[in-house]
Amino acid sequence: MTLQALIADDEPLARRLVREFLKAHADIAIAAEADNGMDAARAITELKPDLVFLDIQMPRLTGLEVLELTGRRDGVVFTTAHDQHAMRAFELHAVDYLLKPFTQARFDAALERARLLRGQPQPGLETLISPQPLARVLVKDGEREGGLQVLAVEAIDYIEAQADNVAFHSGGRDHLKAQRISELEERLDPTRFVRVHRSFIINLGSLQGLEKTDSDAHVARMKNGKRIPVSRSGYDKLRAVL
Amino acid sequence: MHPLLNHRRGLAACLLAAALAGTALAALLAVQGLADFAWALAWALPLSTVLSFVALSLYHLCRSQPFGTGRWPRALTARAAAVLLLGGAALALAAGWDAAGLVVGRHAGLVAMSPTGWGLFLLSSLILLTLSVLAHDLLLAVESVQAATLREAEARLLARDMELQLLRLQIDPHFLFNSLNSISALTSFDPAAARQMAIDLAHFFRQTLALAGQERIQLKDELALIEHYTAIERQRLGDKLQTRIDAPPETMAALLPPLTLQPLVENALKHGLRALSDGGLVQIQALVRDGWLHLAVRNPVPAEPTREAGLGQGLRHLRERLAAQYRDRARVSWGATPDGFAVEISLPFESQTP
Repeated sequence: MTLQALIADDEPLARRLVREFLKAHADIAIAAEADNGMDAARAITELKPDLVFLDIQMPRLTGLEVLELTGRRDGVVFTTAHDQHAMRAFELHAVDYLLKPFTQARFDAALERARLLRGQPQPGLETLISPQPLARVLVKDGEREGGLQVLAVEAIDYIEAQADNVAFHSGGRDHLKAQRISELEERLDPTRFVRVHRSFIINLGSLQGLEKTDSDAHVARMKNGKRIPVSRSGYDKLRAVL
Repeated sequence: MHPLLNHRRGLAACLLAAALAGTALAALLAVQGLADFAWALAWALPLSTVLSFVALSLYHLCRSQPFGTGRWPRALTARAAAVLLLGGAALALAAGWDAAGLVVGRHAGLVAMSPTGWGLFLLSSLILLTLSVLAHDLLLAVESVQAATLREAEARLLARDMELQLLRLQIDPHFLFNSLNSISALTSFDPAAARQMAIDLAHFFRQTLALAGQERIQLKDELALIEHYTAIERQRLGDKLQTRIDAPPETMAALLPPLTLQPLVENALKHGLRALSDGGLVQIQALVRDGWLHLAVRNPVPAEPTREAGLGQGLRHLRERLAAQYRDRARVSWGATPDGFAVEISLPFESQTP
């Protein structure tokens, strides 16, 4: 069985080197190459390659963000020149990685390991690639079929739970993502995002003011005019941070 | 100890001045017919010697009672009291020494001065002591200015050493290891390019180390460094990187602190071209006009800014560095332009004298 591989690195020579090292492995075919994190994320989502050779420092999205946003957890071989932060994290979580420049022997060993672990998520990886707090989210691009878009959390006005999805409201547009709102709440910066209601998280930067309703409850008036219900516990949380 | 007395020559000058003053005084007395010259000299010489050391002792008073904010009334009082006290003592000493003449059989003392004469003696002693106070205060002021200059020079030297160390640390390990990886890739299919890249890398690091130790370098040296840097980056980034340097011949000898422009080009790649799928053009411009050297680095940037921190920090660091060397005569500004991002620097035009 031939395995499909993705090579993601922004430097052409670095990709070429991986290609060359892969020649020794006749059962691996190169499905795609990506020279930035966004294309890598797209290729992972669309092609679902068996193996991913992933550089950490890439433009648009880092290698770790690619995994975070795509949910990919297995069959990944990390490569990095010198990303101290990532290297420390790898060591801490016992995740294998290739330090550039690397030898064919070292490459083969990492490949073998990734091949064995294929299909089973590495335990260390999950904690490694979920940055606290969350800075960006990968959402479906409404305008293009199968397209993806990265949304900076600062650009989100508020988040609304809708059945199994969450809707990110940003600059007058809605972006859907299959995720639970409670999971999202845990990963957002609590000083900037407050869960004011069972179904709503608001960005304090987009908050205009609080209003009282007749029934002694509160609503949050957003800068774009939208009014969002605030529960009793949500009001206490708001009072604590404002 | 008084600084004059620390040197043999200072001591000799002091004694010579005292001897001259004593001789002049004796001559004056002889001309006035108050004493014959030999006796007048016997009186005046030892007296002027003692008085000159008394005047020098005021140095310690001036040093311990400096004129500082809120302290000048006290300092002034101390000086006036010392002058009056020492003036009185000088008069008493002169009179006593004069009376010693009785012992050697001079019935009117060594010199016969009228009460007006003694009055004048007291007055001139007071003037001498006041002048001594002023001279010492002046000396101390000059000394403190010199000490401050020395301290400032030391501080500048220290700052430069620290900056040098910082610059050496700033050699980006990411750049180094990625370049080595590119060389590793090139060896199998383009050994000549691999060799060229290794040589460019060596030139770049060697020049960085050499330039970092200097206070000012010529623009042409900085541009040569940039050439090596961009040659390496061009191998790494492929067709993405284009550079254009517009620097007319008269700018080539202009002086600037080392590594002023190269980090800006590095930023242009890191935050600009790398993130653009088609890359782009980095423009470096130099211009001399009206006694100023104008420098600019322009590059396109992606619509969504990269999250890599450190851009503003690096530019602020550059601004501080230039301010430390040129005070308010250096200007650094940066910001978005219709085509991307630009950093502009203006420095006073100085050029290497051949």
